[in-house]
Amino acid sequence: MKHALTFLVLVLLFVLPVVVLVLVSLAPEWRFPDVWPENFSFRGLTYLARHKKQILTSLSSSLLFSLLTVLTTLVMCLFPASVFARNQFPGKALLEGLLLTPALVPPMTFAMGLHFLFIKFSLADTLVGVVLILAMFSYPYMFRSLVAGFQVMGEGYGICAKNLGASPLSVLLQVELPLLMPAVIAGGSVVFLVAFSEYFLVFLIGGGSVASFTGTLIPLLNSSNRSLAAILTLIFLFLPIVLFLIIDMALVRVYRKKGMVVS
Amino acid sequence: MSWTSKHFLGLSPLILPYLVLFCGGVFLTFCQSFGVLTPLPYGGGALDAYVKLMGDPSFFASFFFSLGVAAVSALFSVLAGTFLAYRVWQLPRQLATAALVYKIPLILPHISVAFVILVFWSPSGILASMAHSLGFIQTLQQFPNVLYSGWGIGMILAYTLKGIPFAMLLVMALLVRFDIRQVQTAAMLGASGLRIFFTIVLPRLAPAMHTGFIILFLYSFGAFDIPYILSESRPGMLSIHVYNLYFKHDLARRPEAMAILVIMFCFALVFIIAYSKIVNHLDNGVRKL
Repeated sequence: MKHALTFLVLVLLFVLPVVVLVLVSLAPEWRFPDVWPENFSFRGLTYLARHKKQILTSLSSSLLFSLLTVLTTLVMCLFPASVFARNQFPGKALLEGLLLTPALVPPMTFAMGLHFLFIKFSLADTLVGVVLILAMFSYPYMFRSLVAGFQVMGEGYGICAKNLGASPLSVLLQVELPLLMPAVIAGGSVVFLVAFSEYFLVFLIGGGSVASFTGTLIPLLNSSNRSLAAILTLIFLFLPIVLFLIIDMALVRVYRKKGMVVS
Repeated sequence: MSWTSKHFLGLSPLILPYLVLFCGGVFLTFCQSFGVLTPLPYGGGALDAYVKLMGDPSFFASFFFSLGVAAVSALFSVLAGTFLAYRVWQLPRQLATAALVYKIPLILPHISVAFVILVFWSPSGILASMAHSLGFIQTLQQFPNVLYSGWGIGMILAYTLKGIPFAMLLVMALLVRFDIRQVQTAAMLGASGLRIFFTIVLPRLAPAMHTGFIILFLYSFGAFDIPYILSESRPGMLSIHVYNLYFKHDLARRPEAMAILVIMFCFALVFIIAYSKIVNHLDNGVRKL
């Protein structure tokens, strides 16, 4: 009984919205005071098909800059995370605190100042500019995840490879990075979600030249075309889930192949 | 225990972008608020923008409104999230997998969560229809004006819906390491469910709750996406105020927009430091962030 109540709350809070979105996407004419739509139609899907090109362009653009952001944060954080996990130096706690601030302070506060710099260096309205600003705002999640990953892994594997004559770079790339994959994926998923769902920063720095899925969705949200908005929102929900599942399965497969333990 | 060139080299991929992009960005925001390095040469004095803001009651209204929306939504999120996480933790194994649905709003972008709130709470939305069919209201006009009440309730609902799963995630991370036998022992010794929750479980979850509160509070305080969909005309959130000054007015008002950002930035820093200090003081040095 107690558990049933917990489930009821979870369903009302988190599942009901999705059910309603599915209904809205299939019933464009669902209006007050009907609790259940009177008739269903595929008009929303027809709209989707008609604007296929624009939607696919913005979706692939969003996917591209989000994945590039994940990659950028990984490159930024890999070495520093290993230094942080394995060394003690003066001011470490302060430095760590400072390095986490970009995820805490409102991103507008540095993005709008940077906008000026990006215009000067022709980075505004470019993919590179968008990736840089998103990486700057989301890297702390990758950083924390990698530091934890290095700490869990310990130094044994690296020392062993070094003794066998591996260079520091190949220790990191060939020995430690594969072992760190779970941490990379954990941090990367958060970075991906942050980048994929951000509207304002992409709008500010991308200035319309860099298409984004959020930018396509925004004008629809307050329009009468609620069906299409609901369909796009559902894509926002299921695309990352599918992506995460694929990555998860691929990781398990690779680990099995190498005879490693999947945690 | 000291800095070596290896440390510098190893940290540089992160420190360099941090200095150039983050510190540089903040620095430029400061500069422009003083009328330096603005797109158009600025004729006035360095503190003009701040003087203007301090004499502007609508700025203070916006500031405290943002503060209120952020505080209420972060508080609700953390309290509800902690309680739900505790209940989910107690679920038997088979059911726990199904409880993963709590992650849905984590995946949805903020603008989509705002859309969900619109669909449910708008005067002709789902809840109005339900109220009608249950006989609580007869016409559209009788449904309480939740989204445009002037209290930011729509935004609070959206931030809370997005924030609860986030708080749950943080709290769950602590709960997996929590020994259920502590709860069982307390129950055997005759403690009530409430007593167990408040004296045994809650103190151990406090670090995650504080982290969650800081992150959610500061995010809602300064973010743009949800207010852009759900904001009422006035008092608006600070981010909307800045957006209007930056994009909709002429360039001469750029320093004002930047001055608001500077105040938001300083407020965020002071908040982080003060909050961590107070909490540290309360429970002797457990790290929060």
